[in-house]
Amino acid sequence: MIRKLIVPSLLVVLLVAAPAVCWAQGDTGKLEIIGAPPELSTGRYDRQAGIFSADVTGIEGALVQVTFEEVKIVGQKMEWRTDDDYLIFTTGATLTKEDFTLTAETIEYYGDANKLKGQGSVVVVTEDATVYSDTFDYDEETDQAVFIGNVRVVFEDGELTGEKFVMFLETSELQFFGAFQGLFNTED
Amino acid sequence: MPLSTKAKRIAACSAVLVAVIIFITVRFLSQPAPPAVAVPPSVQLLESRLVGRKDGQRQWEILSRSVLQEGELVTLGDLEEMVVFQDQEPYLNIEAPRAQWNRKTEVLRLYGPVLVVGEQDNFQLESDYLEWLGSSATLVSPGPVRILWSGMEIEAAEMGMDTEKGLVHLSGGVQIRDGGLLWKLEEAVYDLQAESMDFFGNVILEEEAGSD
Repeated sequence: MIRKLIVPSLLVVLLVAAPAVCWAQGDTGKLEIIGAPPELSTGRYDRQAGIFSADVTGIEGALVQVTFEEVKIVGQKMEWRTDDDYLIFTTGATLTKEDFTLTAETIEYYGDANKLKGQGSVVVVTEDATVYSDTFDYDEETDQAVFIGNVRVVFEDGELTGEKFVMFLETSELQFFGAFQGLFNTED
Repeated sequence: MPLSTKAKRIAACSAVLVAVIIFITVRFLSQPAPPAVAVPPSVQLLESRLVGRKDGQRQWEILSRSVLQEGELVTLGDLEEMVVFQDQEPYLNIEAPRAQWNRKTEVLRLYGPVLVVGEQDNFQLESDYLEWLGSSATLVSPGPVRILWSGMEIEAAEMGMDTEKGLVHLSGGVQIRDGGLLWKLEEAVYDLQAESMDFFGNVILEEEAGSD
């Protein structure tokens, strides 16, 4: 039986096993453009501005991949500002770390500020839940992942929907803000 | 005894004939015979300064101890100084043991080890063999090349540098070390003025440890 719950302004704490997305300073990173034929232009590096840009959207099977310790971001179009270590992937990107996966139309990483953002059709998959939203913001300092806009959390026993939702990655806690709706599977 | 008129004429004709014979003998027969096979004229000069020009503008200048000209080919040995100019100003200084300039094709071949040192940005280029294509103002290394420029260390299997456009075309096992960044790619075009690089095909960019 599915029981429908509508609870305004309720704090919900759920246990979600999700590893922290941590980009440690001083570690080595690697950027690769793969699957591109040698005669096709795949990008540019502006040394004066310190901007590296890659675009393989027009090349079938080609990908841009950034690996940083255990974190991997894959997409087709990206820009990296080396001065402040800002990285943006557009045109569909996926970030993975262990069993954490973030997919969004745009993924941004602010290296100096240790922040990660996702925008547009955001999907976060962890070991125990899948979260859908319009935007995703992760701050390594506070270890908070904030989901805003059309948030839907799907887990084994049901799903929750709302407008704003915070996930504390280290402590595996979830927090809802404002009105939300829950659908739970319960046994008779 | 006075000579008759006829005798005088015969004597005069004989004298003229003898003079002609002597002249022909001295003028032609005493000189060595010309060679049977034509040989192109060759000239060897010592301690010479050669200047290459295009449209009246100085392209390069070479001070050489030995210059051998054979037709269109000018072979330069024991090079002491070689300067490539851009807009009439020294642009590249080149060290090479031997060079060959084809005047007709405007190709200057530099036999290595060749060292090219730029006037700006600590530019330095090493190769075993270089070609300077005067018609397109392009410096070509058909073989492995190593370039130091503005803090970067560049290696490639081949290189072509368009000095008028300031573009360096690198191909084959290209490696560029720029500070803590190491690029590995197959083909790239570096714009020296804009300090930007367009790359083609697959690329690997590694950020080395401790580069922050």
